[in-house]
Amino acid sequence: MSSLPALLVAAPLLGSVLALLAGLVRSETGWPVALVTAAVQVAGAGVLASRAFDGTVSYVVGGFTAPFGIELVVDGLSATIALLVAVVSLAVLAYSRVAGPRTNAFYAVYLLLVAGLTGMSITGDVFNMYVFLEITGLAAYALVASGEGGRSARAALKYLIVGTVGASLFLLGIGYAFVATGTLNMADLSTQLAAVGYTEPLVQAAFALLVVGLFVKVAVFPLHAWQPDAYAGSPDSVSALISALVSTVAAYALIRIVFTVFTVDFLQANPVARSLLVAGAIVSIVFGSVLAVSQTEIKRMLAYSSVSQFGLVVGAVAVANETALIGATVHLVGHAVMKGGLFLTAGLIATATGAQTVDDYEGLIQRLPLGAGAFGLLALAMVGVPPAVGFVGKWYIALGAVEAAAWPLAVVILLSTLLTLAYFARILERMFFRDASGERVAVDGVSPGMTGVVVAAALAAVVLGMLAFEYGQLLEPTVQALLS
Amino acid sequence: MEPLVPPFVPVIVAALLLPFLGRKAGHALAAVLTGAVVPYVWLVDAGAHFTEFNLFGFETVIFNVDPFSTLMGLIFAFIGAVGVVYSYYSEAAPLQTAFALSYVASSLGAVFGGDWLTLIFFWELMAVTSTLLVWHYGGKAVRAGFRYAVLHGIGGTLFLGAVIWHFAETGTFLFASVPGGPETAGLAGSVAPVLAALGVGVNVGFVGLHAWLPDTYPRPHIAASVFLCVYTTKTGVYGMYRVFPQDGNVAVAYMGGIMAVFGATMALFQNDMRRLLSYHIQSQVGYMIAGVGIGSALAQAGAFAHVFNHILYKGLLFMTAGVVVYRTGEESLKKLGGLAREMPITAGAFTVAALSIAGFPGFNGFVSKGIVISASHYDFVKGPLAFGDFYTLELLLLLGGVGTFMSFIKFGYYAFFHGEYDGEVRDANRGQSVAMVLVAALCVFYGVFDGALFSLLPFDVTDGAVVSHVYHTYTVTHVVEGVVLAVLGLVGFRLVKKPLSGLGKVPDVDSLYNPGSLYGSRALVVGVTELYARVDDAAVALAELSVRTAKHPDAAIARVTGREEVRTKAGIDRSLLLVLAVLVAALALLLA
Repeated sequence: MSSLPALLVAAPLLGSVLALLAGLVRSETGWPVALVTAAVQVAGAGVLASRAFDGTVSYVVGGFTAPFGIELVVDGLSATIALLVAVVSLAVLAYSRVAGPRTNAFYAVYLLLVAGLTGMSITGDVFNMYVFLEITGLAAYALVASGEGGRSARAALKYLIVGTVGASLFLLGIGYAFVATGTLNMADLSTQLAAVGYTEPLVQAAFALLVVGLFVKVAVFPLHAWQPDAYAGSPDSVSALISALVSTVAAYALIRIVFTVFTVDFLQANPVARSLLVAGAIVSIVFGSVLAVSQTEIKRMLAYSSVSQFGLVVGAVAVANETALIGATVHLVGHAVMKGGLFLTAGLIATATGAQTVDDYEGLIQRLPLGAGAFGLLALAMVGVPPAVGFVGKWYIALGAVEAAAWPLAVVILLSTLLTLAYFARILERMFFRDASGERVAVDGVSPGMTGVVVAAALAAVVLGMLAFEYGQLLEPTVQALLS
Repeated sequence: MEPLVPPFVPVIVAALLLPFLGRKAGHALAAVLTGAVVPYVWLVDAGAHFTEFNLFGFETVIFNVDPFSTLMGLIFAFIGAVGVVYSYYSEAAPLQTAFALSYVASSLGAVFGGDWLTLIFFWELMAVTSTLLVWHYGGKAVRAGFRYAVLHGIGGTLFLGAVIWHFAETGTFLFASVPGGPETAGLAGSVAPVLAALGVGVNVGFVGLHAWLPDTYPRPHIAASVFLCVYTTKTGVYGMYRVFPQDGNVAVAYMGGIMAVFGATMALFQNDMRRLLSYHIQSQVGYMIAGVGIGSALAQAGAFAHVFNHILYKGLLFMTAGVVVYRTGEESLKKLGGLAREMPITAGAFTVAALSIAGFPGFNGFVSKGIVISASHYDFVKGPLAFGDFYTLELLLLLGGVGTFMSFIKFGYYAFFHGEYDGEVRDANRGQSVAMVLVAALCVFYGVFDGALFSLLPFDVTDGAVVSHVYHTYTVTHVVEGVVLAVLGLVGFRLVKKPLSGLGKVPDVDSLYNPGSLYGSRALVVGVTELYARVDDAAVALAELSVRTAKHPDAAIARVTGREEVRTKAGIDRSLLLVLAVLVAALALLLA
């Protein structure tokens, strides 16, 4: 099946339409359709990944050969992200069956988001990437708005406006690059841009626009303002899905744009461009953590934690060596599992006990041992306690920064462990070492699927950490190709 | 003997099984498994084992046996087993003992690591497990445990930084003695050893970085204190040796001398028994650090002999203090007295331990402290304050000895001999007595038969070819020196007894930096949020004109959802403005 890459995008689109049509026949039929689609997606992404690690898989859409037509290019990095998207969307489905939302429209948009994310991961064409970025964005705005009440709607509106501005900047950047080179294919762009000259104002402006546009999508401080509202305002299953995937795929796009389109030579020719990335990383890590410490609501705290963690990934992009990029990929995957898991656990805890703020978590171990245990495990993984996956990603990134002699960044990365501990230690101490203050609330509305997926996420955070070093070796050829 | 598993494995197995086996069976199994490590590490072949196990994808050696590791492993496992017995008879919860054993296991992992990565991995694990052990007790121990965790987090990060620096310089984590390791031992470069000295300095209680020690150790369960007093500081001494394996470091040696005096002096001011003992950990570790800092074969042998002996008598001291707390419920010396008649076994064990720590002839402390003092005389610079035949560091160490005598005379006098205890107190129960008497017997054994101790040491101190000055324990001058210190201590205690009893709580450095760090971090958080708010406000004020023309988002949402009113906290306008500002800045910088 050589057209597997295209099918990987088409399958969720088809599922999305099916879910909508099924709703006309009978309400609340979206979930099974989504489940089947997501399962197919996991299988497809798995097969594709097993091929992509042997050698880059490419597919020409509609028979128009590159550089004129659209090309789908799958290397180890794209395949990893595509598989991550498929697996996480399947896992969140297990949670959302009981937790809701249950309308068919919701699942139609859910699958549309999966299609957009998968498309972004595997496309080899910048304009095509913009199209998928917009699909992803629009689906995400709609999903955030699917919560009940004004809070979701407000968060979605803010997300919509800020996100659209970000996407427009991205499009402007593509326009500049197109004006400079006359091509949209990534591989072709990289040679053409080199021919135009890396110090041309047109090329530099294109870089600035693309990077700032993606910074908005990744939620780098201070362009993160949409993100805490969106994560905290949406239903639990949506928070988990978008926190695990949307910024992750945007960060993947950043890696693609910086290394495949502009290449390391551009960064070397423009030290300021690298400084821009370093500044974004440092500011995000520090301020994201500090703001996370000052939050009282769990979901907002987790949201600010994401700002800080993506700072690490941006930092790895700025370092631009092999070790750091392996670290960035491991951290992207690890963060998706840990943060998605944390949001689902927070949702589970809120459903079972009503606890939503840091103070509500006092003595949680007595009331809900499983929830508290999973939250504790994921939080420690996020802090970077070995052997969890959070440690491996940070370790590689820190090592990369040291190898590249980027000392300020290395210091901040080491410091980030302490900062992460600062906001999680408060909760750990409350959960495990204090007595419950409130009344015991009867457990209610927690399905086996919800429990199962939370436990699976917690275990995955540890197991992935043990596999991550082998994975890093597997990824080495891809990263070498990216950096050459 | 061929190596079977790294020595931490049986202990971690015991820790994992203990909570599920029930109190009695669990403790019995744990004592057996931990005790079995003693002959195992004694018999196992020297050299690097299990080199094919790669930690985090780097070449590492999880089990490396050399004389230093063997000595640490022997005494760690022994006191661990004794601690389990003591825990069982002191009504410690199974979970607490499980935490304690995980702490023992990580310490064993650290001292048997053949590379820096394994060492730092278990080092950090020790910080986590010991914090859990403290936290498990709840109450006041929680806050102290938190301060403990923060300080050890900082120390561990410094040490980690040093290790990474070393890796960047040499390209390997392995120790020099391990096949494939670098040519020179210790940390490479000029910055790494300084970072490591500070990071390890937290663990061994450098003056100024030591406040966690008397803050944490008196607060948890009495059996937890027995474990705590052994592992963290002594693994620190071992780590310091690995950082400065050859020729030592003059500054570290003097720091050891200052710790010896400072700890003993502060101990004299204390009334809480376990707090007093905690300051003595700092003081005694000072002797070991001085030995490592001097760096000659004689000094290193002395330092490790002192580690070995110290673990015996300090464990014993915490056990006796624990028994007093267990039976009377009192922590303060002011509320005790005359217990010698009520608790003869405890009083006897205490006397042995006190004479050992103070270095009285015939007890083990005398032997090892003597080696370090001898090294400070023969192998070290004269220093600025030398009186006749006594050099600066030597004087500091002797002064620390006088202080030790004084504070233990104080402890013994107020707890066991002064006045009468009103009411009935039972002596230690059978299990506690067995544990105490066993350790006390070893304190005397190694004091009398010093050859048994010498045979354990990494360097033979009785061989002139190995050490610069052959050491004899029982010479006339040594014995006279020991007795003179004791007499000075006795006289000193008579002199200061009156003024001391009127003295309140003497502040330590933590009374400075605890509020400092609290208000500092609070000021930082408030400052950052406030600053952000100010910048934000200014930007918004500027943009107000252009924003006013845009559709008001609140009203729009309210209309869509059909609610009366909705408020946006952080507006969309600000977000857009920030995007714009960043874009302009990025373009300006790139195109400039």
